[in-house]
Amino acid sequence: MPSNNLLLSSSPHVFTGVTPQKLMLAVIIALMPVSVYGVVLFGLPALLVILVSVLTAVVSEAAFRAITRQDIRIGDLSAVVTGLLVALVCPPSIPLWMVGLGSFAAIVFAKEFFGGLGANPFNPALIGRAILIMSFPAAMTTWHVPFKGIVDAASGATPLNIVKMGGTIADVGAGFVKNGLAASSDYGATLWTLFLGNRGGCIGESSILLILVGLAFLLATRVISLLTPLAMVGTAFLASWLLGMDPVFGVLSGGLLFGAVFMATDYSSSPVTPLGKILFGAGAGLVTVIIRKFGGYPEGVTYGILIMNALSPFMDKLRVKKYGFVPPAKPVAKEASK
Amino acid sequence: MSIKTFKGGAHPPERKERSASSAIEVLDRVTQVVIPVNQHFGAPIQPLVKVGDQVKRGQKIADAAGRMTVPLHASVTGTVKKIEPRMQANNLDGLCIIIEQAPVDETEFLPILDPFACTKEEALARIREAGIIGVGGAGFPAHVKFAPPPNKPIEYVIANAAECEPFLTIDERVMEETPADIIDGMAIVMRIVGAKKGIVGLEDNKEHLVPILEKAIAASVADISVQLLATKYPQGGEKMLITAITGREVPSGGLPMDVACVVSNVGTLRAVSEAFRKGKPVIDTGLTVSGGACETPKNLFVPVGMLAQDLFPAAVRYDESKLRRVVMGGPMMGPAVPSLQVPIQKNTSGLLLMDASEAKTYAEGPCIRCGRCMRACSCRLSPALLNVAFKASDLDQAEAIGALDCIECGTCSFVCPSHIQLVQRFRVGKQLVRAKKQKEAQRAVK
Repeated sequence: MPSNNLLLSSSPHVFTGVTPQKLMLAVIIALMPVSVYGVVLFGLPALLVILVSVLTAVVSEAAFRAITRQDIRIGDLSAVVTGLLVALVCPPSIPLWMVGLGSFAAIVFAKEFFGGLGANPFNPALIGRAILIMSFPAAMTTWHVPFKGIVDAASGATPLNIVKMGGTIADVGAGFVKNGLAASSDYGATLWTLFLGNRGGCIGESSILLILVGLAFLLATRVISLLTPLAMVGTAFLASWLLGMDPVFGVLSGGLLFGAVFMATDYSSSPVTPLGKILFGAGAGLVTVIIRKFGGYPEGVTYGILIMNALSPFMDKLRVKKYGFVPPAKPVAKEASK
Repeated sequence: MSIKTFKGGAHPPERKERSASSAIEVLDRVTQVVIPVNQHFGAPIQPLVKVGDQVKRGQKIADAAGRMTVPLHASVTGTVKKIEPRMQANNLDGLCIIIEQAPVDETEFLPILDPFACTKEEALARIREAGIIGVGGAGFPAHVKFAPPPNKPIEYVIANAAECEPFLTIDERVMEETPADIIDGMAIVMRIVGAKKGIVGLEDNKEHLVPILEKAIAASVADISVQLLATKYPQGGEKMLITAITGREVPSGGLPMDVACVVSNVGTLRAVSEAFRKGKPVIDTGLTVSGGACETPKNLFVPVGMLAQDLFPAAVRYDESKLRRVVMGGPMMGPAVPSLQVPIQKNTSGLLLMDASEAKTYAEGPCIRCGRCMRACSCRLSPALLNVAFKASDLDQAEAIGALDCIECGTCSFVCPSHIQLVQRFRVGKQLVRAKKQKEAQRAVK
């Protein structure tokens, strides 16, 4: 009898084969188009920022878990995703040590201090970015015009900056024409340029088209649900319009879509229930627009998502009604039975 | 024909092709049978025979008074050798009657009874006397299920022909080979419970059975139809089947009769038909033997209590060097057993001999909160949150978010990328919640 080598385990005895590693790999693949495009726009400096950030993230996680005597989990690729995300929301001109610091803070302060993968209440990459913005406001808001290298002569404001400083969308368009990024400065051409992403800004945020490609991939592989991004962009669109700003411009410029697709959908810092996801997205979109309109920063996506992260545990209570749900008996009836 | 289904679920690889085309073989020569006395859900019963007694095939060998009991019958003719606790398919020791088969076969069946001429009470008594239990699940006594209280009228009798567990093909073969028995069983149950309509719920991977079943239905006077269902696990779960077919949801803590339905597995319906037409009690079990280490996957009828090891090598061959896990039932819900010296029971539907590629185990990883378990949960629960509650021993919270509504189908553990032991933890946790509720109820009485 082969009874000695028979395996005993509780059912189910079959599995899908999906692992956290495969899910993270899917996110990395989805981020590839915007990453490559960022390097195309800003050249070698952008590539170095990405490499340093990813490397720092992986080394930080491995080192932290080794020092605290926990199992090394870098094989799940979540540190790669965090490092990549930190890099993609930094300007290409950021000093390399600075992005390394941001990446370190993201992994150690925002993720590992809370227990690592799946346990972080806030989006690690956005915490990294928030720390960098507060610590190095100048370096984090120095922007460069694409295709001209990271030189002082090529510095220029982002479209959101121009509008925040009192400019109009026409001014943005004029800037595009001046820098050879668009043929015409009319409204449609300006929006088209924004959609394609030939503009200054963070490394990965500019091309709406390529972010949508990433989104399509993540949806097709069923890694994320559309609820959060849709609620966030939809709410931001509506709120911009109600507050008298150009809603289309608002969606196409800045980091709204990047944040909605890659940051607000972070598994561990966002709600797991469908209704929670919708509320989370809507709240993040609303806060983003309020900061854009009334806040001191031209962009509000980072804080919009981080603020909603804090509320996400409460949104997990918004569960769907279970199968066969029976409303609890009214207290009045209980009194009567006594 | 429209294809219906429920929300949620998952689609494990079917693996049915290996045994689906092999006709059912009947095994009636065994050396001995080890018949667990208590195979039904309910109150325990006691042996009526003693060591040394001669018994005939079909003779009643154990019984007890009480509503939630069914009698047990000898599955072979022979001598009672021992009555002692032995390991059963649920990995627990239970009282078993061990009978050594004699060379001559003698039967002691019940008299033949016309199910449409007798009274309903007589029919229910016959179903009990034949030892019929629900073979699709926990072994609930059929005569209790078919006797709902008068304030619960029954509209539909649903034949559970989904067979959503991977590998298993025995129900499929039974329907293909003896469709008339299934339809007859349905008609009998419909008459007993007073249902106007009978529906066979069939997964669409068995669409080829529709004309076969419809031919049998045409020969019956009862109003029965076939409903195709999406091939999706756990489509054969009682609640999921009812929801898919009728759109109704069995209320939390309730039974199918609360939504005017009675659900019975095709194996149970076949047993009902045989109990009347042949007077035959439940003394054989239909099962599929399959799995990667099984060289001759097939469908079998074997005497109840036959040890799995006695199937080899005459009836089934397997590669001993490959065998890494033995599962009684399907891979989603069936328990793994530590040896082949386990008796095949009335409600055993499969014997899976799994090889190394099918017997992988994984360490539990951290929950990444991906939400896959919540999308897959057939009861729309939140396994990820239940897991947190149980890990924290917060039984109140677990109960509040629906722990007792879990049907333990295992879909959550199947889809979890981190291989978290979700359903495994819920099985234990539900017991703890029930124990706690019981304690509280006792305290309230005092």
